[in-house]
Amino acid sequence: MAGAGGGGCPAGGNDLQWCFSQVKGAIDEDVAEADIISTVEFNYSGDLLATGDKGGRVVIFQREQENKGRPHSRGEYNVYSTFQSHEPEFDYLKSLEIEEKINKIRWLPQQNAAHFLLSTNDKTIKLWKISERDKRAEGYNLKDEDGRLRDPFRITALRVPILKPMDLMVEASPRRIFANAHTYHINSISVNSDHETYLSADDLRINLWHLEITDRSFNIVDIKPVNMEELTEVITAAEFHPHQCNVFVYSSSKGTIRLCDMRSSALCDRHAKFFEEPEDPSSRSFFSEIISSISDVKFSHSGRYMMTRDYLSVKVWDLNMESRPVETHQVHEYLRSKLCSLYENDCIFDKFECCWSGSDSAIMTGSYNNFFRMFDRNTRRDVTLEASRENSKPRASLKPRKVCTGGKRKKDEISVDSLDFNKKILHTAWHPAENIIAVAATNNLYIFQDKLN
Amino acid sequence: MEVQKEAQRIMTLSVWKMYHSRMQRGGLRLHRSLQLSLVMRSARELYLSAKVEAHEPEVPLPPVRSPDPRLHQSREAEAGAEAAPPDGEPTSPEPMDTREAPRAEETPARCAPRPTKVSRKRRNSSLSDGGDVGLVPSKKARLEEEEEEGASSEVPDRLQPPPAQAEGAFPNLARVLQRRFSGLLNCSPAAPPTAPPACEAKPACRPADSMLNVLVRAVVAF
Repeated sequence: MAGAGGGGCPAGGNDLQWCFSQVKGAIDEDVAEADIISTVEFNYSGDLLATGDKGGRVVIFQREQENKGRPHSRGEYNVYSTFQSHEPEFDYLKSLEIEEKINKIRWLPQQNAAHFLLSTNDKTIKLWKISERDKRAEGYNLKDEDGRLRDPFRITALRVPILKPMDLMVEASPRRIFANAHTYHINSISVNSDHETYLSADDLRINLWHLEITDRSFNIVDIKPVNMEELTEVITAAEFHPHQCNVFVYSSSKGTIRLCDMRSSALCDRHAKFFEEPEDPSSRSFFSEIISSISDVKFSHSGRYMMTRDYLSVKVWDLNMESRPVETHQVHEYLRSKLCSLYENDCIFDKFECCWSGSDSAIMTGSYNNFFRMFDRNTRRDVTLEASRENSKPRASLKPRKVCTGGKRKKDEISVDSLDFNKKILHTAWHPAENIIAVAATNNLYIFQDKLN
Repeated sequence: MEVQKEAQRIMTLSVWKMYHSRMQRGGLRLHRSLQLSLVMRSARELYLSAKVEAHEPEVPLPPVRSPDPRLHQSREAEAGAEAAPPDGEPTSPEPMDTREAPRAEETPARCAPRPTKVSRKRRNSSLSDGGDVGLVPSKKARLEEEEEEGASSEVPDRLQPPPAQAEGAFPNLARVLQRRFSGLLNCSPAAPPTAPPACEAKPACRPADSMLNVLVRAVVAF
């Protein structure tokens, strides 16, 4: 069932009214490349929200406790911790610079007071521990006032240090560094539901790691042809099934998805399922291969469906039906006639991500002009919303936007030609349990929530 | 005609994109390279088939070759030829080329056809039977001179037509690359030193072959 391209419904997606909650990041027109957000991810409880940027930094926001004095203000997200996850490096053997840009962040399920997350750039994955400290030990007599160790023979008394309260400090420390396992650029990481392993995927291979072990990984998929002249596709994204620890999927640049079962063999070069929709020959163009490439694949929380995003559409697949998707929603079909210009300005290579709502009833993905789209799977309604500072007054409702797709432009509509292709929303995240969404628009992070009546 | 122009423009664009990907921070991206080569391939396919249709009555050579399976090979070879720049000098982009990039994109439809056409013909003869004897003598002599100077076999040919306003940045770039390439070829152990003077076809063909390899390497090498 195709959604109306570029349309919007007055009631808003899911019949929800979305309203502005917060915006993070500088207002400056001049955006430093390093400040551009490259990934957004809620943790399992939704209390923490992590962003990674092109400068290799990770910023974690924590949701404040609800304020009883202000019933309408539901917990806001404030900066909890900021740290430099990756630094630029240089590969001397290949004479190549390795960018510090954070490609993906994935949280680990919380098991104790500390939080753990994986962050990756093109080559190296790091496991970070984010922990709080609000006490410190005091009363040692091993050092003198200058901080120098005292001569043990001159220490005559036994003194037990005591813990004293101090200002809350949040520490981020690298616990594991998983390096040297990828020849190509890492595009995905995914933590397994066994909570012990995770996968990392690059253009041609997928590796399986144990979270505790950094010096070895198992190659579970390798699509590198013996002769690179025969290369026809690359891996574009990969993810573990949310409940079945033996199942994972990976998408390809040809628009297909393979589901693999790790129980069948150590090297999953033979898929268990192959999801592909026959191409419509009438819509073939120079750019067919580019626009059919899948930029993101995400399992639904239930594990029954998966969603894939290609350049113009988002599709929902039932894991039990490989022949075609159960839903196809057009994200910005009006761009089909503009593919040549989008090729010229490189926009056609943009990799839009997508996400599920906590209940799997709606999906969200980004577009250009700081627009993002939501599709309600039950009502089949869709809406286009905009992340903009202009309507960023507290609790201001988001007005659905509409792109004029030919004919006469109505009031409040925007024509395709006046869309700003420099403003794009590639990364979005949906709170796992509530209707709170985080939308990355260049260097700004917008947080919206449903309106309480 | 329109289709042909458009295909040409897209081909030129793709070449430039491939060239510039090399200089991208973080290195060449396999996914992007693959996509660019796919676009270039389909543009080329369209361009050639449009060309065949347009020239069928008057030009005997292209029709012979375009529809047959070798088309694929030659297409790749040409794609390689155009994609060669990146590998010619992977780490030190030539400033001149960089500056010319936008200009090339402005006038691609006009400037690109010539070199492509020229190289097609030459490669064609090389591929079709490897012994287009009628062409050999005159070309051969010129070729040798050029090779001594370290220039490529295609350079003189391209210079032959009156220096046109149409010759924009693209042919210049091509020349630069060709020069670089012939240098590569000369020192390449894979190139048999005895081969060059044998016939006109070979020099045109060999660069193409190794350029194809280069294209592959452009995809492989990181």
